Amino acid sequence: MSPDTVQRRVVHIISQLVPVKPEAIKPEHRLREDLGMDSVASMELLSMLAEELELDVGVEDVADVHTVGATVALAEAFLAKKKVA
Amino acid sequence: MKPVVLGAAGFLGLNLVDALLDEGLEPRCGRRKRTNVLALRQRKVPMVHTELDEPATLEAAFAHADVVFHLAGHYPRLSLEPEVARQTGLRQLEAVLDAAAKAGVRRLVYVSSTATVAPAPGGGPSTEAHVFEDAPRFGTYHGLKWHMEARALREDRLEVLVACPSACLGPWDLRVGTSALLVATARGLDVPHPDGVVSWVDARDVALGLVRLAQHPSPARRVILSAGSTRLQHLLEQLAQRYDVAPPSAPLADAEALAFCDAEERRAAKEGGRPALARELADLIIHGVPLDAALARRTLGLSFRSLSTTLDAFDDWARRVRILPSSPRQENRA
Repeated sequence: MSPDTVQRRVVHIISQLVPVKPEAIKPEHRLREDLGMDSVASMELLSMLAEELELDVGVEDVADVHTVGATVALAEAFLAKKKVA
Repeated sequence: MKPVVLGAAGFLGLNLVDALLDEGLEPRCGRRKRTNVLALRQRKVPMVHTELDEPATLEAAFAHADVVFHLAGHYPRLSLEPEVARQTGLRQLEAVLDAAAKAGVRRLVYVSSTATVAPAPGGGPSTEAHVFEDAPRFGTYHGLKWHMEARALREDRLEVLVACPSACLGPWDLRVGTSALLVATARGLDVPHPDGVVSWVDARDVALGLVRLAQHPSPARRVILSAGSTRLQHLLEQLAQRYDVAPPSAPLADAEALAFCDAEERRAAKEGGRPALARELADLIIHGVPLDAALARRTLGLSFRSLSTTLDAFDDWARRVRILPSSPRQENRA
């Protein structure tokens, strides 16, 4: 899966969780301050992403994810791990 | 036992799933469509889609189950609409009971709250015998929990057992619910608060108690699960010492605290977010009574963990998931 595809999926999920148009969501946006997601919504984002991409992401892994770009990077890292396994 | 857990992705739910797995049992875990299931995925347990307002999902989830743990009782985000909360809670509970009866579930363990435990005459510790005769009128949460518990205990199509845990502390409070005051204190925030009796229990002990309740050949119908009781102000002072932060301010008078909560709830309703102090928490503190959990100790063989053991476990977990920052001072202390 290309980085663009991962980013599109992340953006799509975010747009389901907060009232922001997908085209307005940028990698540098902070989940909380810029997109208005609280800690519950940002956990939901990562949970939905883990389910959609079948990633073995743990609660501890997502604790430091605060931006759209970091979410994409986390997904890519776990996709790469899955590929190796 | 073939258990289904409603509310499996929540704080108590995750601890219950762990307790069931420890017993060699594999629960089917009810999960709403939109919820954080990262922790359930880590446990590699089967999940099933359940919505309390969609009875068909409950019936499908309960097929072939003999025990249902209901940990998903309605908990309104705010206390501003008591009648809506009551109707929602009762409608959803009715749906769970109907589905369980239709599916031939043998036993349902319903998790209520110590909000339903009335003061003992004479001021001593309250036991399972102490129940409010009518719904308490001092708060949405208390009224809701009373109505739901009363309905659960009236059920006659299947065996329903009621567990009343006090404030649960410990690992996996991902939404920082009961732990909110604890986390605020650890972070050095001085949250305005009333004073009163608060009771606590380790979520892992509650989970074990629920499993034992489900397995018991002739269980009590209503069991209090609580490790200890103290005044909130004393507890906050102990916590401030533990986390090496300034001691808490003096408590607010009851009326002042309730006015603060109500103003915070109105703000949260308008702007979103959470109130600095939840109204139900203030009600629980102001109307809190000391509790006697001897029945759980005796019939379920529980020995409740100490507060310091519970807090140590919470700290370890909360620092791992960054709910609490790592603190060199804490590490030195340990």
